[in-house]
Amino acid sequence: MAEILAVRDVRKTFGEVRAVDGVSFTVREGTITGLLGRNGAGKTTTIRMITGIFMPDSGEVRWLGADSGTAFRDRIGYLPEERGLYKQMKLVELLLFLAEIKGCRPATMRKKIDLWLERFELTDKRDAKVEELSKGNQQKVQLIGTLLHDPDLIILDEPQSGLDPVNMVLVRNLLRDLRQEGKTILLSTHMMGEAEKMADEIILIHRGQVVLEGTIDEVRGSFGHNTLHLDFDGDGAFLSELPQVRKASIVNNSAELSLADGADPQQILHACMPRVRIRRFEIASPSLEEIFIAKVGEDTLAPEGAHA
Amino acid sequence: MKKMFAVMKREYLQAVRKKMFIIMTLLLPFLMAGITILPALIMAKGMGSKRIAVLDGTGRLQAAFAKPNAPEEAEKQKKLDPRQEARKALTERRRGPELPADLRVEYVNESRAPKIDEAARPYLERLSRDDDASDKLEGVFVIPASAVADPETRMTYYSRSSTDLMTQERMARLANKSLQRMRLRAKGIDPELLNDLLEDLPVEAVQLSRSGEKKTGGELNFIVAFIFGALLVLPSFVYGQETMRGIVQEKTDRVVEVLISSVTPIQLLSGKILGIAAVGLTQIFVWLTMVGLIGAFGAATLLMADVNLGQFIRPMVFVYFFIFFILAYLTYVCIYAIAGAVCNSEKEAQQFVMPIMLFMMMPWFLMMPIVLNPDAPFAVGFSLAPVFGPITMFVRAMVTDPPLWHILVCIGISIVTIAAFFWVTAKIFRTGILSYGKRPTIPELLRWVRVA
Repeated sequence: MAEILAVRDVRKTFGEVRAVDGVSFTVREGTITGLLGRNGAGKTTTIRMITGIFMPDSGEVRWLGADSGTAFRDRIGYLPEERGLYKQMKLVELLLFLAEIKGCRPATMRKKIDLWLERFELTDKRDAKVEELSKGNQQKVQLIGTLLHDPDLIILDEPQSGLDPVNMVLVRNLLRDLRQEGKTILLSTHMMGEAEKMADEIILIHRGQVVLEGTIDEVRGSFGHNTLHLDFDGDGAFLSELPQVRKASIVNNSAELSLADGADPQQILHACMPRVRIRRFEIASPSLEEIFIAKVGEDTLAPEGAHA
Repeated sequence: MKKMFAVMKREYLQAVRKKMFIIMTLLLPFLMAGITILPALIMAKGMGSKRIAVLDGTGRLQAAFAKPNAPEEAEKQKKLDPRQEARKALTERRRGPELPADLRVEYVNESRAPKIDEAARPYLERLSRDDDASDKLEGVFVIPASAVADPETRMTYYSRSSTDLMTQERMARLANKSLQRMRLRAKGIDPELLNDLLEDLPVEAVQLSRSGEKKTGGELNFIVAFIFGALLVLPSFVYGQETMRGIVQEKTDRVVEVLISSVTPIQLLSGKILGIAAVGLTQIFVWLTMVGLIGAFGAATLLMADVNLGQFIRPMVFVYFFIFFILAYLTYVCIYAIAGAVCNSEKEAQQFVMPIMLFMMMPWFLMMPIVLNPDAPFAVGFSLAPVFGPITMFVRAMVTDPPLWHILVCIGISIVTIAAFFWVTAKIFRTGILSYGKRPTIPELLRWVRVA
């Protein structure tokens, strides 16, 4: 598939802090690409350089899609992590304005706005002021503002932060729909679980540098099939002491075990049998979370990154 | 350009459709008129009529405190042509003061009282009666018997408030005028003759323009200059403030990031500034129209008083007003935009701009000497200086006839200043608008200007 965007060795320093330190990657058309990393890794700064909010100190961002030219930023739909709308404006007027500053002619937009409002069940709020809407509805309006001008590349920075479970599902479904429609999506998140469910490709950023990239299967495959997922009844504390286990994370009655090189899962099953009652025993690739920890080291991981 | 226009349109429509804007636009002229006219009206009316007892020890001053007699009143009603009216006012002024209608005098002839202070006692008691008592007095004016002959004599005015200077002054004038006449007559001099001999002749101020055109009515010019000066200065600051508030609001609402990903900071900044400028011009246009309508009535009156209004409200004044308002606003608004971009709350931004604004408002504080000496070197200097130029030059253009090259130089310097300010502002704006938290120091700001 064709590439739509290339980021080449961009760097950005704020005072003493090297926020982004030589990041390169490409985004392929029609995929969902997950930009992963803990808070403060440099995801938002990278995105801001793509959207033209910051100029990189060095390096470049290149648009490789159709009609490449200076106006490519009008072909991006951007949902910032910090959500914000003009609270005093009426919904329709606000959406018209957002489309207008993306270069759309207002006259052509009214019908589209109505369609989007219908899709998000906001038709009856059409003439309400933004401040009169619930938080969840404001999020929806912001999403409409991101998508209204029919962008080729949709960039979402932590789209699920602050969403309730219902809206979280709504966003997840929307992203799938958009990909079905052939849109390209760049999704920044620190929630590995979400990325695993949605992304086709991932780019892992740590301390301003890309530490890992590829399709989910590639990334997982490269870490081998040396992970055991266990569900059991009983006290599983002994698992971490087994000689075949390199590292164990045990939460309640389930465990994810990284095996030592050359270890035989069969031996572990054997060791478990007399002590606990096994409900699930699965040999698999490691989860993104495991890979992430293995890659950047446990000590650097913020707690909110560990349990998505 | 299209995007800047979109930003501008949004700013304009949002501001103009606010209820507060509509109310302020329609009501402010009346409020201002109220604020300026009301105190004067109250002063003149003295908050209703006053009852004052005059205890006359000489027994000869009754006529001085009598109400003006009826035939004169009737004569006043008769229609006079303006010139005659003015002459009449002059003769009336010469003839001496009259008892104002709002003072009700209770005249008591105390020439037979042995001690006037004792005679006054019951009247003084009436000063402290309840307000609604029928014999309540607001003042007691005591004239001792020696008042005609002895220049060392003191008259006394008693009242509940020590600040009722106006009434005291009026009473004293009435008494003194009469006493003077009596002394003159005693020496065999006709007081009317003396008045005529000592008459001050009035001076008429005539401003001669370069083209040789004559203008009169200088005092009024002075007031008009002030009004137009205020109309130029105040909106510049008010709308500068408005711009700042808008930027801070966008930061606190976190709208900025969406905006900056779609438009460049320069587009955003100029759209905003021009949008709000358009709001200001709309408001001023409405105000001028209202003033014009009211003025049309006023003009008739002024014409009768021999004042040619056309000499103040020349078409050129409106051209100057438009030019210098735009220049002044654009000069100030940059400072407000910087404040909005680097500060996190309105309060903080307010403190940031305050000292700078006080400095920039200098011509406003110096308005009086500038209006009085519009061609003095310091006024010329101010009018050609960057930042201070637009206001000063406008005021000068109102009250005097500055050479065209002064005006052109002022406009040129202002445009250069605005361009420089705008360039710096855009740089700071770009970095500042996305920075939350600590306010940058001056060295940091300078670094933003260099780097951005």
